[in-house]
Amino acid sequence: MERRDFLKAAAAAGVGLAIPDKLNTLLHAATTAVTQRIDLAICHGASPAAITRAAVDALGGMRHFISKGDVVVVKPNIGWDRTPEQAANTNPLVVATLVLMCYEAGAKKVKVFDRSCDDARRCYVQSGIPLAAEAAGAEVSFINDRKFKEVAIGGERIKSWLLYTELLEADKIINVPIAKTHSLAKLTMSLKNWMGVMGGPRGRIHQGIDEALVDLALVIKPALTVLDAVRILTANGPTGGSLNDVKKLDTVIAGVDQIAIDSYGATLFGMTGNDLGFVRAGARRGIGTMDLSKLSIKKIEA
Amino acid sequence: MKHVRRVTQGMFLVVFFFLFLQTESKGTDELGYPVKLFIDFDPLIFLSTILSSHALAAALYLSIILIVLTMLLGRVFCGWVCPLGTLNNIIGSMKRWPPREKARNWFRVKYYILFFILASSLFTMQLVGIMDPLSLVVRSFSLSIYPAFNYSVNAALDAAYKLDVKGITTVADYVYEISKKTVLAFQQPYFTQGVFVGLLFIGILALNLVERRFWCRYLCPLGALLGLLSRYPLLKRTASEGCNACGACEYSCQGNAKPGDPGTWMPTECLYCWNCDDMCPRDGVSFRFSVKKAPAKLDLGRRKVLASALAGAAAVPLFRATPVFKSGYPDPGLIRPPGALEEREFLAKCVKCGECMKVCTTNGLQPTLFEAGAEGIWSPMLVPRIGYCEYKCTLCGQVCPTGAIQKLAFEDKAKVKIGTAMVDRSRCLPFAHAIPCIVCEEMCPLPKKAIWFEETRAMNRDGKPVEVKQPHVDLELCTGCGICETKCPLVGKPGIYITSIGETRSKENQLLLG
Repeated sequence: MERRDFLKAAAAAGVGLAIPDKLNTLLHAATTAVTQRIDLAICHGASPAAITRAAVDALGGMRHFISKGDVVVVKPNIGWDRTPEQAANTNPLVVATLVLMCYEAGAKKVKVFDRSCDDARRCYVQSGIPLAAEAAGAEVSFINDRKFKEVAIGGERIKSWLLYTELLEADKIINVPIAKTHSLAKLTMSLKNWMGVMGGPRGRIHQGIDEALVDLALVIKPALTVLDAVRILTANGPTGGSLNDVKKLDTVIAGVDQIAIDSYGATLFGMTGNDLGFVRAGARRGIGTMDLSKLSIKKIEA
Repeated sequence: MKHVRRVTQGMFLVVFFFLFLQTESKGTDELGYPVKLFIDFDPLIFLSTILSSHALAAALYLSIILIVLTMLLGRVFCGWVCPLGTLNNIIGSMKRWPPREKARNWFRVKYYILFFILASSLFTMQLVGIMDPLSLVVRSFSLSIYPAFNYSVNAALDAAYKLDVKGITTVADYVYEISKKTVLAFQQPYFTQGVFVGLLFIGILALNLVERRFWCRYLCPLGALLGLLSRYPLLKRTASEGCNACGACEYSCQGNAKPGDPGTWMPTECLYCWNCDDMCPRDGVSFRFSVKKAPAKLDLGRRKVLASALAGAAAVPLFRATPVFKSGYPDPGLIRPPGALEEREFLAKCVKCGECMKVCTTNGLQPTLFEAGAEGIWSPMLVPRIGYCEYKCTLCGQVCPTGAIQKLAFEDKAKVKIGTAMVDRSRCLPFAHAIPCIVCEEMCPLPKKAIWFEETRAMNRDGKPVEVKQPHVDLELCTGCGICETKCPLVGKPGIYITSIGETRSKENQLLLG
């Protein structure tokens, strides 16, 4: 770029761009230092986009998590051939808002994918996620079986497993699960969403699901997790299909600690984190905090 | 004229392949293209389906257009349109022929095949799909050639990825993305009889090296039907007075229509390729509309016609005196796609074109061998270990050209049972081994799941109690979609499996009192 062009562009974009990067970071650090540390932001409101934005902003904004030039993977649940109203996949507007915010924070590229359980083409179309995420600028792709790589995990139940390289190679990861019931794990939220980047015969992890999910968390460390509870599935999960099982909560829960998020998520279903084996296991193994009283939780209306 | 014809043939072949490639889910409820269009125009399927089932899918009435066209213009379809004809053309032109290659005189054979097929159709046995050229070409590409093509491209890309050299991987990625969007299938298709179906097809193409358009001249039953319709075409070949019967045209004739002598030209064999016109050293050949009688009559021999029809009729009891047709003896593995008619009616309509197997989103629909008797060969059956019936997908019924699989709206499909799941307690992990597993229940797509759990305490080897959820199938709710069997973590022999019992379309194949 010519200097003159750069100046023109900077002028057009406003002064914000002209502030040197380092100074910007410094300013940012200063402002977040002043505000109180928040572990979980629970945001309620009618617009999925607005509550997602408000929740992330409450945690210090997307710039707190994403650096300029990052390649980011935003990982929703696109597991099922279901529409957004049926609450089996992540809400598309929540996903798209996060994509947009990543770009606003300077991300170079935002990728969205999931290894679906039903036919992937139908899941992608019916979920509405690709449509919304692509409109926000994301690169949405189907899983390419060649892109799985055996990764040493060294967990209690999983010693090593095939994981998706696009996830492993990303600079930052954002987890966007939806809250649903599950007959074995009881609930599926943040931790269980990572089954979507497992290759091979992943159905086997049910043989020791609680420990296996925590094992995955040893190697997959999202910078940010936003649990979608705009609609939750209260029975017949994780597939659902009947609107009678869907409850509209108009809520998202954002945070960094997946155990804390899942522990809070349990309360949406009238349970506590202690009722969930994987949350207990995660807390016991030091992955995160289960005890909500030890967390700083901020509730917002947006 | 030869060039005009070749371009036209090429265009129809491109349209054929385009529609073939569109016979694949894009994730929406409908395909958006009339992918079965070529078969809709097939008068042989039209006629044999009327005979065998006395009912027709509405789109097949399009074939009346081809019937009228053929009566006026002769077998232009064979020479200008048919994708198999064009492929035969291409293969035939690959060999360098001796200048005066003599043709065989076997053209009557295809008529006997036609009478055989139509007679068996009349007695409700629908064999037309085995040799109908459009069924054959769609089936061969769907089950064999296209999967092999995909396999070769994927194998090449795999090899490139394995090298793991940065530049090569980038190029391979690029090639993959492009071919994925254009010619590759969404997922590598596999079919149980790919080799068999493929070798037959390659054999048919190879016959062109024995004699050009061998299939079209001597074997094709659709060609025979169109031949019968073009006994008195309006468009006729005429040779001028100056013809000295030099025979130059004889050797360029695609259909072996004996154009060498103006008195022997057979309109029923002529493919209207216009080669004789282009070849004639005296420029004496032309095709014109006239109402004069055609010079050569088609003489098939009454005895032989009768014999082939009788053979077709006799084939019916021969094919059917097998246990497949014994009442109360349904094949548990013969799981038909949702919307398939009752088995007898289904067999009377299915033309084994393979459209349903091509479009099946999970690759679960596979060709039968003898599961449905010899007459049912290459008809579709669900093999849940390979792929299940996707809950909201209704594509197989949409692409079926004859209505053997009914087109169902999702609301109706959701009510159709194609079979029932049963748990094999000797293999199922929570039953047999006290190991937790809920995959079948998790995958069950019904809004109220057809798999429910009995929560029990099982004992392991050390005498320690283990909490397990043992799956049970709700026989009334289960539709037999098979996703539980497909996804059961016990590879090889599953812990839950589908059989055809309980299928909606059958009165006999039931287990509940009602």
